[in-house]
Amino acid sequence: MKPEQELVTLTPSEELAHLRLLHLADSALPIGSLAHSFGLETLVSAELLRVSDLPEFLHGHLQEAGMLEAVACREAFHLALADGEAFPAARWIEINDCLSALKPARESRAASATLGRNFLQAAMGLEDFRALRNAREASLEAGGQIHQSAAFGLVSGALAFDETRAVLAYLHQMSACLISACQRLMPLGQNETTRILWKLKPAIVEVAAGSASFTLETVSCTMPLLDWGAMEHPALATRLFIS
Amino acid sequence: MAATAREALQDIASEISAPSRARAMLRLNFSRDSGSDRTFLADSFQEAPLKVVRAFSMEDGTALAHLHNVSGGLLGGDCLTMQVNLASGTKVQLTTTGATRIYRNREGFSATTQCNEVSVGEGALLEYLPDATIPFAGARYLQRTSIELAAGSGMFWWEILAPGREARGELFEYEEFAVRTRVSAIGRRISAENFCLRPKQENVSSLARLGHYRYAATFYICRVGLEASAWRCAEDRIRELTAGMTRRDEILWGVSLLVAHGLVVRCLACNGREVLPGLQAIWRSAKRHLYDREAIPPRKVN
Repeated sequence: MKPEQELVTLTPSEELAHLRLLHLADSALPIGSLAHSFGLETLVSAELLRVSDLPEFLHGHLQEAGMLEAVACREAFHLALADGEAFPAARWIEINDCLSALKPARESRAASATLGRNFLQAAMGLEDFRALRNAREASLEAGGQIHQSAAFGLVSGALAFDETRAVLAYLHQMSACLISACQRLMPLGQNETTRILWKLKPAIVEVAAGSASFTLETVSCTMPLLDWGAMEHPALATRLFIS
Repeated sequence: MAATAREALQDIASEISAPSRARAMLRLNFSRDSGSDRTFLADSFQEAPLKVVRAFSMEDGTALAHLHNVSGGLLGGDCLTMQVNLASGTKVQLTTTGATRIYRNREGFSATTQCNEVSVGEGALLEYLPDATIPFAGARYLQRTSIELAAGSGMFWWEILAPGREARGELFEYEEFAVRTRVSAIGRRISAENFCLRPKQENVSSLARLGHYRYAATFYICRVGLEASAWRCAEDRIRELTAGMTRRDEILWGVSLLVAHGLVVRCLACNGREVLPGLQAIWRSAKRHLYDREAIPPRKVN
């Protein structure tokens, strides 16, 4: 039997975890993901980004921003595994502070922090985990931000998801949200959207695997053009998105 | 592949221990003469090829030092360290005497590494205003910069990356250019950048990276202790200025608030002619706004 024909049998608890991961990674989760373009709106407005550029752009975005967020997701994931011991609040704060410092544009930084806070709040409304409560209290006490990738990683760890699957799901929803923003900004139809996201999947797998080799100190993220777009977004005369 | 394309930053420590050509340190300690309110170079430690001849006293009491590399540029395998310490209340301007050239990496040598450790004391002001950095074909360069800002201190710090020796048609022919910069204010990290380009392994012209632009510049403008509302005002002021300098097909300028205590300006340009004048214009405006003082461009040997 060829490997791809092998049947994978999940235990009931794995099936439940799989469904929960699908739910939390759904771009329709009501945390406000669809209100942000993270600077894309400026690039489209300046006619720098067109529909024909999207596959290549999204691939590069995954390699840069995707890699950074995937690393953060993994680092936060491991904090939740410390459940039962004292929650490593200092490291949680450090991860989020590092992400804040690595995001040069204030609107994108704020967007990531808003989505992270909303995501953590939504997850806490579904399940009660000490790690999540501790994380939120630690951030409130320190006056720090909670970024989306870190919150997703922490919740995934608390729910005992498979680490790599959680990273894959995070990257997939990140790309899906960006493409969704593009649909509202550009003449991009449903079928083309579906095709673009479908073709991105190998890159998502590649970035998720690569992210295991880095830390937040060593991972690079080189997106000066999108940084410019995000920095100048507040100056757009007409805006569909918050960022 | 994304993972392997970024090993530069991860491997910087091992690169430093690999076979190298020159290990050199430049340490500059600046102090303030309270009687004259002038800053002077109190002591220095210099190893070739790094050299500072002397510090010049400027009309406002600032000490100006030119950073020389007597070998003419950075060679493959060079492992250089610069430590700059500004005592409380000092004012220092650092500049280069020309573009920093990063030569082709020779076979068997490790990447060129440059470590910068900067400490700006209470109420001090550092202006770091170098010319562009030009990585030649085949160059491999890893830079690590750590900047600590004390209470009430300030900083104007820019860096410009050229695509190569443009005049001879050499564009993005270097192997790698990786810069890791950390800026902290009173112990809190306010900015971090892990910038890495490997033109032979990834598409630098992707819209996710540089697009059709060739030059990239980053300018940090900091003054520790200013309220967030004052920074919003400064951001608006600089955005007004940069809006007039932006021409979509040729040069882009963007500005944003850092986490706290400062702004960051980004520039992307198709050619380098307007980058330095643009940075100088922003510097003049920001210095007037933040310090109520005029920016005095550094005297150059050329």
